[in-house]
Amino acid sequence: MTTAASAAHLTPVFEQNDVAARARQVTKAYGTGETRVTALNAVDVDIERGRFTAIMGPSGSGKSTLMHCLAGLDSVSEGRIWIGDTEVTGLKDKQLTRLRRDKIGFIFQAFNLLPTLNALENITLPMDIAGRRRTSGGADRAWLEQVIDTVGLSGRLGHRPGQLSGGQQQRVAVARALAARPEIIFGDEPTGNLDSRSGAEVLGFLRRSVDELGQTIVMVTHDPVAAGHADRVLFLADGVIVDEMHNPTADSVLSRMRRFDGKRTS
Amino acid sequence: MLLKTSLRSFLAHKWRLVLSLLAVVLSVAFVAGTLVFYNTATSTFDRLFAATASDLSVRKAQDELTADSPGRASTVPVATQQKLAAEPGVEAAVGNVFSSSATLVDPATNKVVGPTSGAPTLTGNWTESPRKSVDITSGHQPQGADQLMLDADTAKKAGLGLGSRLRVIAESGTHDFTVSGIVTFRTTNPGAALAFLDTPTAQRVLLGTEAYTSVELFGDGSRSNDELKTAALADLGSGFDAKTAAEQQKENSAGVGSFLKFMKWAMLGFAFLSAAVGIFLIVNTFSMLVTQRTREIGLLRAIGGSRSQVNRSVLVEGLILGVIGSTIGIGAGLGLAVGMIQLMQATGMNLDSSSLQVTWTVPVVGYAVGLPVTLLAAFFPARRAARITPMAALLDHAAPAEPRANRIRAVLGLVVTGAGVAALALAAGSPGSTGGLLLGLGLLATLTGSVVLGPLLVSVLVRLLGGLLPALFGPAGRLAQRNVVRNPRRTGSTAAALMIGLAVVIGASVVTSSMVGSMTSQIDKSVGADYVVDGGHGALTPAMIDAARRTKGLDHLTEQRNVPAEVTLPDGGTLRTRLAVSNADFLRDFRLPVATGSAEAVFSGGGLSVGQDFADEHHVSVGDQFAVNYGEGRTQTLRVAAVIKTGNQLFDQRFFTDSDTVANAMNGQLPLTGVAFGTASAGADKAAVLADLQKSLAEYPQLVVKDQAGYKEMVKSQFDQLLAMVYGLLGLTIVVAVLGVVNTLALSVIERTREIGLLRAIGLSRRQLRRTVRLESVVIALFGALLGTALGLSWGVTARAVLSEQGLTVLTIPTGTVVTVLIGSVLVGLVAALVPAFRAARMNVLAAIATD
Ligand SMILES: Nc1ncnc2c1ncn2[C@@H]1O[C@H](COP(=O)(O)OP(=O)(O)OP(=O)(O)O)[C@@H](O)[C@H]1O
Ligand SMILES: [Mg+2]
Repeated sequence: MTTAASAAHLTPVFEQNDVAARARQVTKAYGTGETRVTALNAVDVDIERGRFTAIMGPSGSGKSTLMHCLAGLDSVSEGRIWIGDTEVTGLKDKQLTRLRRDKIGFIFQAFNLLPTLNALENITLPMDIAGRRRTSGGADRAWLEQVIDTVGLSGRLGHRPGQLSGGQQQRVAVARALAARPEIIFGDEPTGNLDSRSGAEVLGFLRRSVDELGQTIVMVTHDPVAAGHADRVLFLADGVIVDEMHNPTADSVLSRMRRFDGKRTS
Repeated sequence: MLLKTSLRSFLAHKWRLVLSLLAVVLSVAFVAGTLVFYNTATSTFDRLFAATASDLSVRKAQDELTADSPGRASTVPVATQQKLAAEPGVEAAVGNVFSSSATLVDPATNKVVGPTSGAPTLTGNWTESPRKSVDITSGHQPQGADQLMLDADTAKKAGLGLGSRLRVIAESGTHDFTVSGIVTFRTTNPGAALAFLDTPTAQRVLLGTEAYTSVELFGDGSRSNDELKTAALADLGSGFDAKTAAEQQKENSAGVGSFLKFMKWAMLGFAFLSAAVGIFLIVNTFSMLVTQRTREIGLLRAIGGSRSQVNRSVLVEGLILGVIGSTIGIGAGLGLAVGMIQLMQATGMNLDSSSLQVTWTVPVVGYAVGLPVTLLAAFFPARRAARITPMAALLDHAAPAEPRANRIRAVLGLVVTGAGVAALALAAGSPGSTGGLLLGLGLLATLTGSVVLGPLLVSVLVRLLGGLLPALFGPAGRLAQRNVVRNPRRTGSTAAALMIGLAVVIGASVVTSSMVGSMTSQIDKSVGADYVVDGGHGALTPAMIDAARRTKGLDHLTEQRNVPAEVTLPDGGTLRTRLAVSNADFLRDFRLPVATGSAEAVFSGGGLSVGQDFADEHHVSVGDQFAVNYGEGRTQTLRVAAVIKTGNQLFDQRFFTDSDTVANAMNGQLPLTGVAFGTASAGADKAAVLADLQKSLAEYPQLVVKDQAGYKEMVKSQFDQLLAMVYGLLGLTIVVAVLGVVNTLALSVIERTREIGLLRAIGLSRRQLRRTVRLESVVIALFGALLGTALGLSWGVTARAVLSEQGLTVLTIPTGTVVTVLIGSVLVGLVAALVPAFRAARMNVLAAIATD
């Protein structure tokens, strides 16, 4: 990416420009005193650009917290976070909002869409909010068509979320995240509510957007099969990254998880 | 069990019910406050009258016809007082001299002292009577021809004290006095100004003869008041009138009572209006609560809860709201009553707020307003809750859209509105009482129809004009547009509350501005006089008329007197009325719209004019003879000389006749002039003449001396006061309506928490979010205002047409008011959105996403 390359010499913090998000010594604690919970404990992580990263770990291990902190939805107690060449920590709400709008895409587990808008309007919502015209700029328009085509929703664009199945709704959410061409997309169990077939559809689609469109995606999941679609899996336990795995398969992820469970119980 | 779940649900949602509670509290407080105020005021006056009434009050019996004409006070001779004093059982017989037509003036400033409207200024003699309403609190009683005693409240307001000079302008002339003493009311001051002279001075100044206006008897307890009355009347013979203490009290109370009663009913009317508006607010709240609990209710049904249980649980929740709201409202009503009493004190009516009269009717009426309002409001949401199926528990969407406004609603709404519009159209075409009935029906039907059609109109309007919002306000506009139509019923009923208040305001202002417009146009059309001199409460004495006539550049001054008379028609029917007595100059000052006959003949001796309406109704035509009785045996025959066209308030229902003719019949004893009209000489500078005329009459500050423009201004300002009162009271209704908008928005924001979180997560800025809420609010308010304006205009225009024969000949649309209402509604929308928008923007994004 030429923009990232030229940005590199402006921001000496980065040695490599193939990192889309970076956390350094990030600690996140909730509450004080007796009720203090450390959800993240001095986490260092680099999310590589143009790759599909999955985050796994037992319930309560801090996956969502990590994702929220990386995305600037939540503040950190200590440490620093960058998205691309922008430091997230220390930004004011206004700048954070702008960052989310321009550089980040989200896919939540459920309730991703505004019930009052139809599918197409939901997809273009981030651009609308940013004041980008849907029709202007041939490139934008072509991209939008490509995204819609890839998600396979062309026939359903006029439907309201209430008229779509759960899988279709998630695909609209994915299309929305992609349409704005964010630097990075975060998904918190995006397939958690779907059956295995529609889950696979969505995952396949995410995979393709990484391979064909060069998108960077970070996904939290419990499902080894889902994690198998990723390029890299980070394992989180008690707020610490305890392991990682490259080019995983469902089976290798599963056996790694068994090992953790064994360790925990022993 | 049922009560417990309802109570728990109530407590869980208590913050969402706050504004509903407030609506109940406001309505109930207004009703309770009005009742307590009214009871307290009447009991204060009853006590005052009971404390001051004599056992028997004796007056000269008066022919009813002459009782109330200015300058002809009837008197009781001094001998009668002496005779009554000698009656057995009488302890004291006090001769009273009183007049309410004298004016008090501060010679230092030449300003009127005492109330200028409403309460009277009473001037009389100071007597040692056993029951007095006042005590001398400083100085001493008046002695001699130049001393006067004034009541403390009036003295304080006018900045007068012992030794101050005070002028009394009576029919006998102008007299100057020095304040020798100050009196203070024992119980309460009903707002009147009191001035006391010594008896001989009072007789000279107020009556012009050595006599009394009444003799007040105080018994020694050996005889009842009724026995006293029988004995006194028997002793005095005919020609006297006596009233016992009880009869006096009744008469006095009736006098004050009619004013208080008017106030009471006006305020209760607005309280009920605000309760009606409050219903919309509560309906919305409960509907939203039911919608939000759809899944919960579905679950309840799935595990075996029955429909009626669900239904009842919502109703019971409404009942709890009603009980709490009414109870607080009754308490708040007491505070409101104290406030109203204080307000009355500011206007001069001193009531005692330390002894509030709270009868059993207050709580009963309070609950009778609060409970039905909440139950009625909870009724429809409760029914909807009962229709929720167990399937709802499985639905994914926490807040399913309300069922779309359906066809039945459309048909019903159109039929009712159509009928209403038809009734209004018919009413406009048929002035008079049928028109009034049709107007009432049309009013109700169009109001109901608009409420029913509201939700549909929301959808239609947003479909038609919706494109404007995104075009003008970008994504916030689009979101707001969608939010407005997602629950058309909710938007409709929120707007309906505002609509009702505004419709009444606009309707009232169309009627009043038409009154002013008609009056102005009638004055323009028919008044040739340049100036008017009006006596106000009192009359114009010959001295005033002379002073006015001496003004340089004034061509002539025409006096008009109102002479009470009983007229016997050719068909034998009789009619009590007041003849408008003037002379031929009148025709130079007014253009009488003569239908038949001649205006000159009216004032040329023995002539009389009648209105067209009257002539038609009684089959009277020019040349018919009327027998006229002026009372006290004075009679005369007048001949109809002209029939006057109707449609001009200045002339309608009036009988004009010639002053020389009437004076003949009354032995030259015409009542004093009520009003006089003047015209400047040809070529004179009219403004300069007005200034001169005002200068000539400067020593009578109670007179109203105006040119035509000033007179119109005065007429207009009288309506302005009336209108200000109506607006003030309607303010309450609009406050409740605005609370309704706040309520809907606040609850919508809570309901859409997750959506808001999502929007913020994908980059909607706080500003854009606030703007979304604001736009939704403004659209609702503007929608309500548009409907209200349309309704109000149609009501006002129809009412004007119905009243066209009562003198509302000209339709004047108060464009200023209409524009103000529309701009005001945008402001209302912005204000209503303040808190909800702030809260929406402050929401924690993560927490919002996590809620279900
Ligand atoms: N708002 C909060 N207040 C207090 N503690 C919190 C809060 N949010 C999360 N936690 C705690 O932080 C820890 C990490 O929570 P987090 O939601 O990140 O877990 P997770 O890995 O996403 O779990 P799951 O797989 O169940 O979603 C947990 O112990 C949780 O209880
Ligand atoms: Mg989680």
